[in-house]
Amino acid sequence: MKILAIETSCDDTCAAVLNNTSVLSNVISSQTDLHAKWGGVVPDIAKRAHSENIEPVISEALKKAFNISKKENVTDYIDEGMKSIDAIAVTLGPGLAIALGIGVNKAKELAKKYNKKLIAVNHVEGHILANFTKNKFGKPHREIKFPALAMTVSGGHTKLFMMEEIGKYTLIGETLDDAAGEALDKAAKMMGLGYPGGPIIERLALNGNSDWLKLPRPLANQKNFDYSFSGLKTSFYYQIKDWPKEKIAEKMSDLAASYQKAVFDSLIVKFKRAINFYMPTSLLASGGVLANQELRKELRKVSKEMNIPIFMPVKKELNTDNAAMIGTAGYYKALRNEFVEDIDSLDRDPRAQL
Amino acid sequence: MKIVDINDNYENVIKETAQTILAGRLVIFPSDTVYILAVDPTNKSAVEKLLGFKNRWTGKAISVAVTDKKMAEKYVELSESAQNIYKNLLPGPFTIVSKGKHQVAKGIEAENGTLGIRIPDNKYIHDLVMAVNRPVTATSANLSGRTPNYSVASFLRPLSKKKKDMIDLIVDGGKLPNNKPSTVVDATEPELKILRRGDLITGSSQTLVSKSEKETEKVAEFLLKKAIEKNSGKPIVFSLSGDLGCGKTVFSRRLGHLLGVKEKITSPTFVIYNEYQTDDKKFLHFDLYRITADFELQEIKFFELFTNNSIACIEWPENMGKENFLELQKVAKVISINFEYLNPTTREIKYEL
Repeated sequence: MKILAIETSCDDTCAAVLNNTSVLSNVISSQTDLHAKWGGVVPDIAKRAHSENIEPVISEALKKAFNISKKENVTDYIDEGMKSIDAIAVTLGPGLAIALGIGVNKAKELAKKYNKKLIAVNHVEGHILANFTKNKFGKPHREIKFPALAMTVSGGHTKLFMMEEIGKYTLIGETLDDAAGEALDKAAKMMGLGYPGGPIIERLALNGNSDWLKLPRPLANQKNFDYSFSGLKTSFYYQIKDWPKEKIAEKMSDLAASYQKAVFDSLIVKFKRAINFYMPTSLLASGGVLANQELRKELRKVSKEMNIPIFMPVKKELNTDNAAMIGTAGYYKALRNEFVEDIDSLDRDPRAQL
Repeated sequence: MKIVDINDNYENVIKETAQTILAGRLVIFPSDTVYILAVDPTNKSAVEKLLGFKNRWTGKAISVAVTDKKMAEKYVELSESAQNIYKNLLPGPFTIVSKGKHQVAKGIEAENGTLGIRIPDNKYIHDLVMAVNRPVTATSANLSGRTPNYSVASFLRPLSKKKKDMIDLIVDGGKLPNNKPSTVVDATEPELKILRRGDLITGSSQTLVSKSEKETEKVAEFLLKKAIEKNSGKPIVFSLSGDLGCGKTVFSRRLGHLLGVKEKITSPTFVIYNEYQTDDKKFLHFDLYRITADFELQEIKFFELFTNNSIACIEWPENMGKENFLELQKVAKVISINFEYLNPTTREIKYEL
């Protein structure tokens, strides 16, 4: 089954083409030089110019997937590519309403125009199922057994699910305030670093002492599976608030290491608690923060300690927001025959729950 | 002792209560904070009865409830700081102490001649004072030194028969929300003094002080009520500025829940804003932290989001730029709130309604 997947839940405009769960193409607006290619259609400064990005991105995904020879314009690529597509998967939510709307409307339009089936996908399920996404050679080959414990950690989400099988999830814990990725970004900002801050903190932390600054581990002792990061952020802020710039610069690595450790400790503590409570057969982790090697190391340690296999998307672009994961989730929904029945009445769902 | 349910023919209950008070009798009545002992403060024997009931030494003031500033000024002299508080904070859970004009019976004013005035934000008391057409005492219904009462049953439980017999009428308003007794503010001098801490603590007439998340939530409650009262049908926007970790998110979350949002309200930083639909309102929770340029507001169709039934909290409003802020003030009633860090446990919340 060939699926065209569209994801526009926040900053990036993404499209992908999959053959079942194998990725044939995976295009992300911010990582693609569409500006040059489409003759200035896409203002490269705009972060969320989905309405301008969406057609070029879809066209690019189709073109790459099917090696379409040179055409006049974006519409021609889409016309040609859609001939090979069986279904369209699109992110319905959660996310930024206006952004979601552009993806959903485009998916509806294409489904009707080319008479394709439509699949509505939850963004968070996409993140979880990124662990089932394969490259075009069908790699990696994974045998993920259920029940599984699945953690998604990104700039917008920090959630823990128990997963009975693909498609059946029970939310067991989530952040009560900020997402883990957001907590890292904000700390970076407090130290005068750029955005997104996660990767910068990771790099600095490599040479830092993670015990240097004393920071709280909010909710660590509470017997639930929820997270909280706003108290940690506040504590960090008020400890360094009055420091002169030079001191912050001098201690940057230690600050980054201490803060990153506090964020990851919170994640690991609840992850372990959930493992002990639910005794899953496999562990899954995904989301943008999983691009962080230190977190991956910590999670692998947990896996070894508990003797339960852990799975994380191998490629970075499957961790951050992307359409390939939406296509994967869409494929499994298609297998269950969960297509959109009334395409016209389908609407974005910015606060969709899984 | 007679007990009536306030909702059992409300107008009659108010009328009967007013008559009982005017006849110099003692009434137990529900308020915005706790149950209160209501008598006519100008009636000497009624006041004696009240003081007898409370086992209270004369010398401490007994606060009285009025309907408005005009009624208050018949009984007290309002200093400039008091004038400001009346304008900005009342009605609300405050007792404002001013110099008395000696228009009440002995024992109501304190020994130093001051008198505490309340303008409760509560329909029952407001209607009662209107019906009596003069102040009524608003001292909490408990014996001196005992904890205040939030239900009639908890009030009656420890009372002796003798005490019970002193009460002429109990108006049962059910279980009251667990609000603390009012904050007592001495406004006789330009510098305000807090004599008793309630749920909301004043810094000045336009600042409130919070020492905990709970208190920040109370501030949200208070300001939401004020905003809705003063609004003319425009969308309401709370513009929340201030440092990280000063309670902006706590404030927003409480506001959302007060408006009827049932779901968890988490940080909208990543998605810029979250929209929650309740029965009759729309709660918009923005975080413009990641907005760095004006056109980004256009990308999210910012101004189209404010509909007449919407109430919004905007964190990091500075990021929208001055022009957009002016534009926002045209389409919505904007309440600017600034959170300031005073020390690790104290925040000052300044507001402009």
